Amino acid sequence: MSEQDASDASNELRFSRVFDAPRELVFRCMIDPDHLTHFWGPAGVSAPRDRITVDARPGGVFETVMVNDADGSEYPTRAVYDEVREPELLAWTESSSGMQVTTQFVALGPDRTEVRIHQRFVPEALLAPEARAGFLTALDRFDTYLGGVR
Amino acid sequence: MTITEERLDAAFAALADPTRRAIVSRLARGDATVGELAAPFDMSLPGISKHLKVLERSGLISRRRDAQFRPCHLEVEALDGALDWIGTNRRLWDERFDKLDALLAGMRRPLSPAGPRKGKERAHE
Repeated sequence: MSEQDASDASNELRFSRVFDAPRELVFRCMIDPDHLTHFWGPAGVSAPRDRITVDARPGGVFETVMVNDADGSEYPTRAVYDEVREPELLAWTESSSGMQVTTQFVALGPDRTEVRIHQRFVPEALLAPEARAGFLTALDRFDTYLGGVR
Repeated sequence: MTITEERLDAAFAALADPTRRAIVSRLARGDATVGELAAPFDMSLPGISKHLKVLERSGLISRRRDAQFRPCHLEVEALDGALDWIGTNRRLWDERFDKLDALLAGMRRPLSPAGPRKGKERAHE
């Protein structure tokens, strides 16, 4: 597993990964359909080039369709960019879920870039401030607990 | 909303309360009666019962109707739904990043250290 941590005092999920590549290039990969098509789908899932739409500016759309290689089932996702600051930051909101995703590109060196994903996810029920606090850490603990229980 | 999403919302809502999280933690170790669950809390039995009703409606716990003390039981599968949601998102980015890493490595190979140009069509030696 890569370095990542789902626990935080806030309601965010965070993931990060360090790449051996210049920040400008990593940023381009995240907004260029010719690149996105190669990595946007997770393992066993494709993201066809001709079904990716990127209009990387505030208010512009970011649409993808992920296709399961095994059974052809499709997962279309539509998002709208909230903020685009090349080459350091991308933020979008997914239209169906309201989930906000912020991606930061941090230059660790000329050929080394850390990508940090902050995912503010929160189903409706968790929007109350008291509900947000600490629930993820609680879930992490449960995961440990239940690992032993099953 | 789909049924899955509704269940997920209900599970997250139920888990949003610290007392209910503590109850779920306790039940992860085994079934317990209301009295046993109330013991560690400075709370009346009716107070605990309210929390149990929320947990029961969310599907996270069930209670036996027949037994005298109606022990509470954690429905591990329902909790899995909530945990899976987080795990799925983790995995999604993890696997995307694996592919991005490979893509970047492929671009680097045919290039001099000069910088970001698309070079993936170049022939290998």
